[in-house]
Amino acid sequence: MEKLAPNGSIVQLKNVTKRIGRRTIIDDLSLDLPEAQVFGFLGPNGSGKTTTIRMMVGLMAMTEGDVIIRGHSVRDEFEKAIRHVGAIVENPEMYKYLSGYDNLLMFSRMIPGITRQRIDEVVELVGLKGRIHDKVRTYSLGMRQRLGVAQAIMHKPTLLILDEPTNGLDPAGIRELRDYLRKLAKEEGITVFVSSHLLSEMELMCDRVAIIQAGKLIDVRDIGQTADADGAGGAAFFFDVDKPEDALALLAGAHGAQAAEGGLAIVGGREAAADVNALLVRGGLRVYGIRMQNKSLEDQFLEMTGGERIV
Amino acid sequence: MFDFLQLVANENLKIYRRIRTWIMFGILVILVLAISLIARYMPGGGDGSGWSMMMTETFLLFIMVTIFTVVVSAETVAGEFTSGTIKLLLIRPWSRSKILLSKYISVMLFAFALAATLFVLGFGVNALLFGMGGAREEILAALGTNRDISPFSYMLAYYGFEFISLIMIVTVSFMISTVFRSGGLAIGLSLFFLMGGSVVTMLLMQLDYAWVDYLLLIHLDLTNYLIEPGFELRDGVTLGFSLGVLAAYYVLIIAVTWLVFNKRDVAT
Ligand SMILES: Nc1ncnc2c1ncn2[C@@H]1O[C@H](COP(=O)(O)OP(=O)(O)OP(=O)(O)O)[C@@H](O)[C@H]1O
Ligand SMILES: [Mg+2]
Repeated sequence: MEKLAPNGSIVQLKNVTKRIGRRTIIDDLSLDLPEAQVFGFLGPNGSGKTTTIRMMVGLMAMTEGDVIIRGHSVRDEFEKAIRHVGAIVENPEMYKYLSGYDNLLMFSRMIPGITRQRIDEVVELVGLKGRIHDKVRTYSLGMRQRLGVAQAIMHKPTLLILDEPTNGLDPAGIRELRDYLRKLAKEEGITVFVSSHLLSEMELMCDRVAIIQAGKLIDVRDIGQTADADGAGGAAFFFDVDKPEDALALLAGAHGAQAAEGGLAIVGGREAAADVNALLVRGGLRVYGIRMQNKSLEDQFLEMTGGERIV
Repeated sequence: MFDFLQLVANENLKIYRRIRTWIMFGILVILVLAISLIARYMPGGGDGSGWSMMMTETFLLFIMVTIFTVVVSAETVAGEFTSGTIKLLLIRPWSRSKILLSKYISVMLFAFALAATLFVLGFGVNALLFGMGGAREEILAALGTNRDISPFSYMLAYYGFEFISLIMIVTVSFMISTVFRSGGLAIGLSLFFLMGGSVVTMLLMQLDYAWVDYLLLIHLDLTNYLIEPGFELRDGVTLGFSLGVLAAYYVLIIAVTWLVFNKRDVAT
């Protein structure tokens, strides 16, 4: 039953392409999702995250390519492929005239092997125990999101796909979800595929992140890698000085020095920082502090995707 | 198979957990009771046979059954798109065809429940208030038939034929709901079909072209065939012919509905 590709990935997107009319919305996207990882799917608004997810779960037909889940093609063996997938696509809309519990009960009937006990378990887990018998109509956005998560993990999927799951959750809820997703991946070997544009979130919860822009995959990187980047000249330092203008004049653009709020910033590693510091002190300026500025994934992401531009 | 029944059970749940549904049943029950009670106790009323009262009520209220079912049918697919729940429904290990079939079956079961309510209540209430006795010939004449069958069989046949028309109209509504994802449009068009149908039919029947025989509209009232054995709606248009035309349209409507639902990109 369990079929892993030779490289240990449980899900493969193979040259997935979506064209609507003459527009190419997803362009030849290939991606392997390894087992037991939280995999982030990052991209600015309109880059095609939701469209990709819709194709992965069979809501939209692929123009070209295929998605293979545990050895089954979504195109040709949909029922087998989707059997071990749990998902929330965009907002978790439920039947408003039913209670949260009845919603879960109903979805549980569509997949064999979900006991009432399991339903109670997930209700407890997502923290909806007190309100589960109320009509969904009366739920807040965050509560609906939690119900959506319950619905998605109820049948213990091996692939959990969540489209912007933190949308509408409060900080505590986000944290809980993050911890829970990490736990699912680590302890139960579930592959979690999360899309988001909350970039700082991704850094905290993902093992690996794929970045998509305008329907094209532009990068896949392990989160650990970003920390190593500083040595390679990617780091920046901030200098807190008494006369920033004089300091800038003194440096004359060395090490990419430029004005920053309350001081100046340079680009370069530790050696560069020490050199700049010596220069400033010798020039009679007072240096109150030097801080290393780690380039976060967010900065890198904005750099790569060109900021806020929606394509 | 057992699992598929679970899908139907889910669809039933979606119908019967809504207050709307019970209001529909309530209206039907109240109308039957009201019409019979008024007929029984109004000044100058009170005689007449229970059979003809049942017939009158059926004539008036079966349209109600059709309208209510059209409303439920129009909502069943379009509603899932409007609310966005279609996304959660379709990402289960079931083919779209089966999910759609479970919806269709639940709508038909609802229609059957309404029609059965009308039949049983109409029979029961009128039997109590008026009695179902009387000379058979007289009763059959009052019901408007020359056939020699028991009044009960006649009523059953009448319901059967009405139910065939209902299936056609409700299936059209189901198709519009699926194709256009708009419940309002589905209700509007199918009711126009139902109401406007009889007027247009009368006009069409005047036309002496052969193609008129193949129009769906003129075959929607099969109860005409109950008037007498061998009745012909138009020259050469027998009950068998009508049923054949209806069957052809039915297959076509169902095919379009399933095809569109299976191919549709869900992007709500
Ligand atoms: N049904 C459709 N018809 C035409 N274009 C569409 C359709 N659905 C989506 N698109 C286009 O496809 C692109 C990708 O949309 P998608 O919803 O996948 O983006 P996203 O990455 O999920 O964005 P967001 O972060 O805002 O959720 C957008 O440019 C959008 O306009
Ligand atoms: Mg999206």
